[in-house]
Amino acid sequence: MISPIVLEVCVVCLGIFLLMAESFSVKSNKVVLAHGAIFGLLSVFVMSFFIEANPAQMQSSGFYVVDGLSLFFKRFALLSTIITLILAVDYLPIVQRLVPSAKPGAGTGEFFVLPVFTCAGLMWMASAADFIVIFCALELVTISLYVQVAYMRRSLASLEAGTKFLILGALSTGFFVYGITWIFGMTGQTGLAEIQRNLTINTEANQMAILFGLGMVLVALGFKIAAAPFQFWVPDVYQGAPTPITAYLAVASKAAGFLILIRVLEPFFTVVAFQPKLILVLALLSGLTLIYGNLAAIPQTNFKRLLGYSSIAHAGYLLAGLAAIGDAFAGRAVVFYLCGYFLMTFLAFLVLIPVTKATGGDDIAHFNGLGRRSPTLALAMLIAAASLAGVPFTVGFFGKFFIFESIINQHFYGLALIGIVTVASGFYYYFKVIRAMYWMPPAEDAAPVTISRLSKSAMLICAILIVVLGCYPQLLMRILP
Amino acid sequence: MQLVLFWIFSLLMLLSAMGVVFFRNPVSSAMSLVLSFIALAAVFVTLDAFFIAVVQVLVYAGAVMVLFLFIIMLLDLREEKRRRVRLSAWLGGGLVVGGFISALLKVVLSLPALFVEKPALSHPLANDIEQVGYNLFRNFNLPFQVIGVLLLVATVGVVLLSKKELK
Repeated sequence: MISPIVLEVCVVCLGIFLLMAESFSVKSNKVVLAHGAIFGLLSVFVMSFFIEANPAQMQSSGFYVVDGLSLFFKRFALLSTIITLILAVDYLPIVQRLVPSAKPGAGTGEFFVLPVFTCAGLMWMASAADFIVIFCALELVTISLYVQVAYMRRSLASLEAGTKFLILGALSTGFFVYGITWIFGMTGQTGLAEIQRNLTINTEANQMAILFGLGMVLVALGFKIAAAPFQFWVPDVYQGAPTPITAYLAVASKAAGFLILIRVLEPFFTVVAFQPKLILVLALLSGLTLIYGNLAAIPQTNFKRLLGYSSIAHAGYLLAGLAAIGDAFAGRAVVFYLCGYFLMTFLAFLVLIPVTKATGGDDIAHFNGLGRRSPTLALAMLIAAASLAGVPFTVGFFGKFFIFESIINQHFYGLALIGIVTVASGFYYYFKVIRAMYWMPPAEDAAPVTISRLSKSAMLICAILIVVLGCYPQLLMRILP
Repeated sequence: MQLVLFWIFSLLMLLSAMGVVFFRNPVSSAMSLVLSFIALAAVFVTLDAFFIAVVQVLVYAGAVMVLFLFIIMLLDLREEKRRRVRLSAWLGGGLVVGGFISALLKVVLSLPALFVEKPALSHPLANDIEQVGYNLFRNFNLPFQVIGVLLLVATVGVVLLSKKELK
C-alpha cells in the first residue's frame, strides 16, 4: 500500500518537472507539455485506486484525512484538470495571440503547467481536516487561479477579470481568516475533529461568538462557491478569463468550495443548538442564489456570461441540498449533482471553444446555424443545454430530482417551490442557445468548425455519460461515498 | 505597566489603521500603514512574542511597504485626488460597516469571559525562535510544504504577469 500523500507529491513533482522542461526546451510548440501533463495526471488518477480510504487513520498529526469523500474529490480534481488541459490545448491559438511574447510560442508553456499546481491544491483541500491546511490549500488554488485568469495580458477583459478576482478573492480570504480566528479563539482548536469535541462541551454563552466566526467563514466560502449575495464577481470574471480557466473555475473551484463547506459545517451540524440556525441560513442563501442566478441569466447574450449566471443558479441547487442535510440521502444527492454538473458544464465548454475559434466570439449569436454547419457539435451542445436545464433522460434531471426529493423529505416546501419555478426559467435561457443553433441562419462568412481528436473523444465521453447516467443514475449512485 | 503599554500601542495601531482609509494622499496612507504595523509589533512584544514582532517590522514595515511606496510613486496620484465618492457608495459602505460593528459589539458583549478577571501573563523562558522553527518543521510540516508550493506558483505568476516580453 502506498501512503496517500504520495498522490499530491506526484502532482507537485509533475508540475516542477514540466516547469523545468519548459524553461530548458528550445521547441516553440508547447502542446507537448500539455500532453505530458495530461498523461501524468492520468497516471496519478490510476494510482489513486491503489489507495485505501481509511478515515480513522489521520496523517501528519491530524491535518490530513483520507476517507471516501476525499478520495472521490481527489479524482474529481484530477479529471477536471485533465479536461481543462484538453480545453487549453484547443484554446492555445487565442492565448498565443494575446500573450506578449518575444518569439512565437513563448510564454504559453505555463498555461499548461499552472493548472497542475492548482490541481495539487485542490487535492490537498480534499483531504484537509484542519483550518490551517484548508486555508493554505485554498490560497494555493486561488492564487494560481488569479494568474490563470489574467493570463491573456493583451486582452483588457482578461486583465479586468484578473484584477476583480484578485481584489474580491483577497476580501473573501480576509473574511475566512477572521472567522477562523473567532472559532479558534472560542474553542482553542483549529482541527475540525477537535473543534467538534470542544463544541459539545462548550458553554452556551460562547455560542454566539462561535456562530459569528462560522458566519464569517460562510461569507468567505460563499464567495468561492458564488452564492448570492457574494456572487458579483462571477459574470465579469467568467467572461474575461480564458475559456478553459472559466470552465476550471466553474467546476473544480466550485466543487472544492462545496467540499470545504461540507467539511466545515459537519462538526457544527452535530450540535443541537446550531443545527436549526445553520439550516435556516443555508436555506435563505440557497433561495436567494436560485432566484438571482436564474433571473439574471435570462437577458444575457454572451454565452460565457450566461454560463456564469447558470453556475450561480447551480450553486443555489447545491446549497438547497446542503440545507436538507438532515435527510440521510442529501449528502449523496449533492455529490451526484456535482458529478452531473462536471459533465454538462465541461461539455458546454468543449463545444464553445471550437465555435469561438471558428466565429471569433463567444456570444450566443455566434452559435447561429451550428446545427447545419456542424451537426455533431450542435448535438453535443443540445445534450449539454438539456442537461443543464434538467430535461428528463439527462443526468441534470436526476441531479435536481434527488435534491428536490431531499428538500421535500425535510418539509422545506417554500424552497422546493422556488426551486421548481427557477427550473422553469432555466429552460428559457438554455433553450435560447438551442434556438440559435437550429432555427437561426448561419453567418455568411462563418469559417468551418474543426475539432481536435482529443477534445472530440472528451466530448463523446461526457455526452454518453450524461445520457447513460440520465437513464441509469444507480450506476453512479452506487460508487458515491 | 503592561496594560498601559497595551492600550497605548493598540490605540496607536487602530488610529493609524483608520488613517490608511481616511487620508486622501496615498503616500500618507502608506506611511500610516507603516505606523500601524510598528504598533502591532509593539503589541506582540508586550505578549513576549519577540520573533513575530521582529518579523513584523522586517517583512511588513520594511520590505512590503517599500514595495508599496514604489508602486505608489509610479502611479498617477492626481487622478485619485480628483475622484469624488458618490453618496450611494458612502451609504452602502456605511451600512455594511455599521451592521458589522453592531454585530461585533453584540457578540463581544455576550462573551462571559469579558467580565472575568484574567490571570497575569506568564513569562516562560522559552526561546521563541526555536519554538516557531520547531512548530513549522515538525507539527505544521504539511501546511508549510503547501505554502512552499504556493510561493513557487506565485513567483512563476509574477514573472508571467509582469515581464514586458516573455521569452
